Amino acid sequence: MFSTVRSTTLLGVVGRAVDVEVHVGVGLPGFTIVGQPDEVCRESRDRVRAAFLSRGFTWPNRRITVNLAPSGERKGGSGLDLAIAIAVLVADEQIASSLIEPFAFVAELGLDGSLRGVVGAAPLVGAVRDRRVVVAAGNAASARAAGADDVVVASDLAHVVACLRGETEWLNDDTATHTTVFDHVPDLADVRGQPVARHALEIAAAGAHHVLLVGPPGAGKSMLARRLPGILPDLSNEQSMSCTMVHSAAHVSMPANGRVTHPPFRSPHHSISLVGLIGGGTAAMRPGEISLASEGVLFLDELGEFAPSVLDALRQPLEEGVVHVSRARTTLTFPARCLLVAAANPCPCGAGAPGVCVCDDAARAKYLRRFSGPLLDRFDLRVSVGLPRVEDLVDGVDGESSNVVRKRVVAARRLALERGGCPNAAIAVDELDRLAPLSVAARAVLRRELELGRLSGRGLHRIRRVARTIADLDGAPEVVGEVHVAAALRMRTSLSSLSGGAR
Amino acid sequence: MSESDVRAVAAPGMRAVAAALASLPMVGPKRLRVLVNELGVERAWRTIRGECSPSPRLAALLAEHDMGRAWRAAATDDLVQRVAESLAEHEVAVWLASDAEYPEVLRSDPAAPAVLFARGNPTALQQRRVGVVGTRAASAAGRFFARRLSRDVAVGGVAVVSGLARGIDAAAHLGALEAAAAPPIAVVASGLDVVYPREHAGLWRDVARHGLLLSESPPGCAPDAFRFPLRNRILAALSEVLVVVESREVGGSMITVDEALKRGVTVMAVPGAPMSTTSKGTNHLLSQGAAPVRDATDVLVALGLDHQRRDALGDNRVAPSADDRVVLELLARQPSTFDQLVHRSRLPIQEVAVRLGRLEAHGWVTANAGWWEALVAP
Repeated sequence: MFSTVRSTTLLGVVGRAVDVEVHVGVGLPGFTIVGQPDEVCRESRDRVRAAFLSRGFTWPNRRITVNLAPSGERKGGSGLDLAIAIAVLVADEQIASSLIEPFAFVAELGLDGSLRGVVGAAPLVGAVRDRRVVVAAGNAASARAAGADDVVVASDLAHVVACLRGETEWLNDDTATHTTVFDHVPDLADVRGQPVARHALEIAAAGAHHVLLVGPPGAGKSMLARRLPGILPDLSNEQSMSCTMVHSAAHVSMPANGRVTHPPFRSPHHSISLVGLIGGGTAAMRPGEISLASEGVLFLDELGEFAPSVLDALRQPLEEGVVHVSRARTTLTFPARCLLVAAANPCPCGAGAPGVCVCDDAARAKYLRRFSGPLLDRFDLRVSVGLPRVEDLVDGVDGESSNVVRKRVVAARRLALERGGCPNAAIAVDELDRLAPLSVAARAVLRRELELGRLSGRGLHRIRRVARTIADLDGAPEVVGEVHVAAALRMRTSLSSLSGGAR
Repeated sequence: MSESDVRAVAAPGMRAVAAALASLPMVGPKRLRVLVNELGVERAWRTIRGECSPSPRLAALLAEHDMGRAWRAAATDDLVQRVAESLAEHEVAVWLASDAEYPEVLRSDPAAPAVLFARGNPTALQQRRVGVVGTRAASAAGRFFARRLSRDVAVGGVAVVSGLARGIDAAAHLGALEAAAAPPIAVVASGLDVVYPREHAGLWRDVARHGLLLSESPPGCAPDAFRFPLRNRILAALSEVLVVVESREVGGSMITVDEALKRGVTVMAVPGAPMSTTSKGTNHLLSQGAAPVRDATDVLVALGLDHQRRDALGDNRVAPSADDRVVLELLARQPSTFDQLVHRSRLPIQEVAVRLGRLEAHGWVTANAGWWEALVAP
């Protein structure tokens, strides 16, 4: 007559446990689903019924009511199909209710009764990881990656029922064990020359400083940016889990073992919408690129081509490390702890070099206006990248490999975490004197810059944080010296001079 | 019109009327000369208003482009009132050719402005004057040279005349103001209350306070493109010697040079590297026989002034150390990015950074758009 089966639904990037309650009673034959199902969810009526008939189960020709509890929240997706089917079978007393007690079901049903994988398997299964979770073969890896210890796989509805009754065995799932993980991260050794840009990447990775690369087309800005994930410290277990959840929920391609283990790299095209970058949407609240890049690198190529409103929306998430997406029904929080790397041409013609640039003042001023000052201010490192030299390209030797650089980055990052409990880019202003004390000479250099009006108060703090990182990489964990401050200043080209103009 | 008629307009109220005439639509320097110099301000104004019959010369003018009707519509008492208020508000004086303040050198000029608007100290015109002009897209080295040259000639008692544009012009005015000696003179294209380019607001104020701002455009006049070549003729006429610091082969500076040559003004040019695009025009002038300018002494000599000041005008920058000199010499060859410097010097990044910082602090190098330039050969 009545049954309850555990399943889950996706809300942004987290799964919520849902109890599928089914009541089969007297009345006109019918099948209704209540509890705020969305379109896809409501359609499961037809899939479940067809699956029943295809696999030889008797469809109870009575009044069937499905309630998705808690009924206050909107449920979406097709992952509830299997749970509804099982619940109907239990309510119709075709399966004993005691058999399903330790289980949770997350799978879509085909019309032939076969089990299909669903989007967001990792967060879905994560919400019911204390149970024995039945999933389709395609979701097994993600389900295990989500931390569920007891995942079982079945081929179709009849198979599930047979297994529940103890008549057959669950399928053997060994995808995770024998698939070799292949994800190629380009190596920094491919970059020849460019000593300053390489150093800037190393500083960015060590201190979690956002970087802006300014240079003419062909200078290798994208090439450099793509090599940044390779020198970032490996993801911790917790970071890896968070990435896995977000990537699974957004249905982007994942490694075969279903788990994101390397810092992700995202480079959205400049035509991206605000919702695409930040996250949201009306039907399914989807994480944006900034969340997909969380714990990794968000690369914005051709920064000047992005819509200004889109870029400005980045500012607050970058500060807070999370995105709050509020809509009429819900407010969701997505992670946004990414390292921002942007690339821009120095001026509309792209040349930048004195005497080569053909842009007039008006064109340059117009181009510059596209960059909002507050956003540019978020970049602790702003370096110009020149065209590579011919001798470097043809006869040059490979640069240091990512592995060598990463060792230094990891050491510097550990130093920062032990000292301040956060990466250097996140040092609070009132902690700067304690965590990044300046030598007398360094203080004099900064005073001069301030007196000349080339440095603002906020700029000063940023320079000090970058100098702290440079000192850490330099093996000077105590006082920040003149050389470190000087290097930090050289790696923060002033905003107005971004234009490459001869003014 | 006879000389006595021109004298007659010098009454104070007539200055506002003269300014109003300059503010009429479709009035450029030529038509204004016809109105003011040939007819006299009062007569011209009354004729336009239809209060007296036009002379044949003016009738011909009024018939062009239906100008008579347009002028009559615009020439109201209200216009005079507004112009007078604007002149008072911005402390702008109106000089007619008959006025004592009107620059002597312009009186005999065939294309002299009939009305000059001035703000600041009129005695600035009584000094010896040198024009310092050049491209707006100047190199850092060019701007640095213009600034030093202007400072040094101003110390030598010569007024710097320039146009308050970006680049060389601004550097010339900055240098002249720095000297706090001979007050600078600026000839601009727009109305004296319309600061162009906007970022030079402070510089305009300083030039007006310590020197003299001149324009033939009435207050409120926008910086229209056609006004700049016209401005250049006044600039050239006011210069006794014209120095071109940096220029491309064509451009405003070359127009000024042409105007100067027409008036028999000595043209001098600052030599630049043969490959430098910003020095193409100046190098061309040199090849055509213009005298080279290496420092202020060259200019002072050309003006026939005392040139025994060389030592006093010398470099007072702290000499770079041997280490710093290595970097400075690399930069003196060509502007470089920080990256290129690190590569060429084969020094550690931090070492190059520190040396650049020191050189910059002492004024030997400057950064511009990520490019570092040496401010003079070491």
